[in-house]
Amino acid sequence: MFDSTDWKVADRRIGILFIIPFALAALVFMVYPVAEAVRLAFYEHNPLRPEASHFVGLENFRTIYDDPLFWKSFQQATIWTACSIVLQTVIGVALALLLHLPLRGISLFRGLLLFPYIVPTVVIALVLQWMLNAEIGVVNWSLKSAGLIDENIYWLATPNMAMISTIMLNVWKYTPFVTICVLARLQTIPLELYDAAKVDGAGTLRRFIDITLPQLAEVLTVVVIFRTIWTFNKFEEIYLLTKGGPGTSTFNLAIYSFEQSVASLKMGVGAATGVVMMFLLFTGSLIYMRVFKFAEEETA
Amino acid sequence: MNPVALARQALAYVMLLLVTFVICFPLLWALSTSFKLPQDVMASPPTLIPREVTIANYRNLITGKEQYFHGVGKGYVPSTAAPQHFTSWFTNSVVVSLGSTLISIVISTLAAYSITRFRYWGRRIIPYFSLLGYMIPSIILVFPMFLVMAEFRLTDSLWSLTFGYVSITLPFCMWLLWAFFRGIPIELEEAAMMDGASRLRVFVDIVLPSALPGIIAAAIFSLIVSWNDYLFARVFINSIEQLPLTVGVMHFFEGVHVDWGLMMASAVLMTLPMALLFMLMQKHLVAGFGAGAVKG
Repeated sequence: MFDSTDWKVADRRIGILFIIPFALAALVFMVYPVAEAVRLAFYEHNPLRPEASHFVGLENFRTIYDDPLFWKSFQQATIWTACSIVLQTVIGVALALLLHLPLRGISLFRGLLLFPYIVPTVVIALVLQWMLNAEIGVVNWSLKSAGLIDENIYWLATPNMAMISTIMLNVWKYTPFVTICVLARLQTIPLELYDAAKVDGAGTLRRFIDITLPQLAEVLTVVVIFRTIWTFNKFEEIYLLTKGGPGTSTFNLAIYSFEQSVASLKMGVGAATGVVMMFLLFTGSLIYMRVFKFAEEETA
Repeated sequence: MNPVALARQALAYVMLLLVTFVICFPLLWALSTSFKLPQDVMASPPTLIPREVTIANYRNLITGKEQYFHGVGKGYVPSTAAPQHFTSWFTNSVVVSLGSTLISIVISTLAAYSITRFRYWGRRIIPYFSLLGYMIPSIILVFPMFLVMAEFRLTDSLWSLTFGYVSITLPFCMWLLWAFFRGIPIELEEAAMMDGASRLRVFVDIVLPSALPGIIAAAIFSLIVSWNDYLFARVFINSIEQLPLTVGVMHFFEGVHVDWGLMMASAVLMTLPMALLFMLMQKHLVAGFGAGAVKG
């Protein structure tokens, strides 16, 4: 036997000791930057002249409120996010259903799914710029040879096409995320449910609507909320493909914030945009946690 | 098998092949372009199999052959970011990815053990705090972090990137490992301690081996995130030789003439380490997805 009081005191010390590095790192790398981002939103801060930084109250928020580009970016971010999420969800679920089929060699295809996730955004952006090149890109060449188009499409140089191109990149890279989550859930649906429905004479579509969809509702809610939050705030997926252009036609809030901080040297305005983004994000997260809690209580 | 079922199966395979094509084609195309001669890169019609295979693009990147671009009004000028920096960019990427992953894993492993095995005030909020932490996009963290780094005179160094990436990787390593440690049964540890083993012994001999799959999954995700980052490097680093790959290769767009062969070769080399990791560690990646901790 061991001396329990001594042991517990020493033990507790180890527990505290183990959490200290995280506590420090969290303060320096997570809490402080966020606090600093919020503070900056109320300051005029030029990174080239940090000594001239001064408090301006709500001035930065007024600046973005009065800036048509901010609202344009907001609107474009919403369109971009909505299109991406709808496509990712629809394709993601369809793909999960396909990969759920009991076919030979299906695990090979399932394994392949994670590939887009590991490809650096820079790489897919570079390759897409090459493939979508208006004059010598393989995409225009294929479409032309197939007789689908007569004129070259300027994928990255016209506003609507640029928006579509960035959505394509996003859907390519992140649909697998939806598929993997849905596939994991599909595998836990009891087969008896389907057998019973088959006995009742329900067709494939009926069974999908009556059994599969309700079973997937929970995981889909979680996935859609997560993806919406992350997609709305994406920077690299757009910036590396179009730099927010042509003009400002693919700006979202992240790019707006970046341009304010880097190109216009108005870090305060950039930070204020960041605060707006965080506000939207926390609202989304609260909704998520509500759903999550709700789901936990139901399964408990 | 009846004809209807057979037709359905055939259709399923056709769709699977289509999906495979969409997933694989961009990288296949990059691979194909990277092995082509300059005149074949631009050739119409384009071919998937190079007419003549050349490794010149890769050789230029690896040996750092100086590239000349047609400068505006100045005749030929050497690019400021020619491939001679490629190998140092590659090394930089390796160093900062491994560095930030090591830091995040050590810190979050200790912390995950602590919050799942000890009782003290505040331990319950840590996982949720981390969850919120990893929802915060890099664009919000990057400028304040830049000011912090400037304060410590670390900007334009690999240290700033290593620490910068910790701010992204730490929260989700924490969340993933917390979920993982929670699932490790405590009985074995208790039995060992009854037998007189110390807490540290138990941690090293019993807990760490059982947590290894979770630690590997967290490490892979952390490596992927740091390897793929563009934004932090773009903001933190000025000197061309201190850049990681992601920001470095974007410099190949400089000049009037874009060398697509060279560009695609660097895209392939940039994907290679992650692709290898992916093939070796696929099982663990899926385990990580299972724990619900994926940043994307």
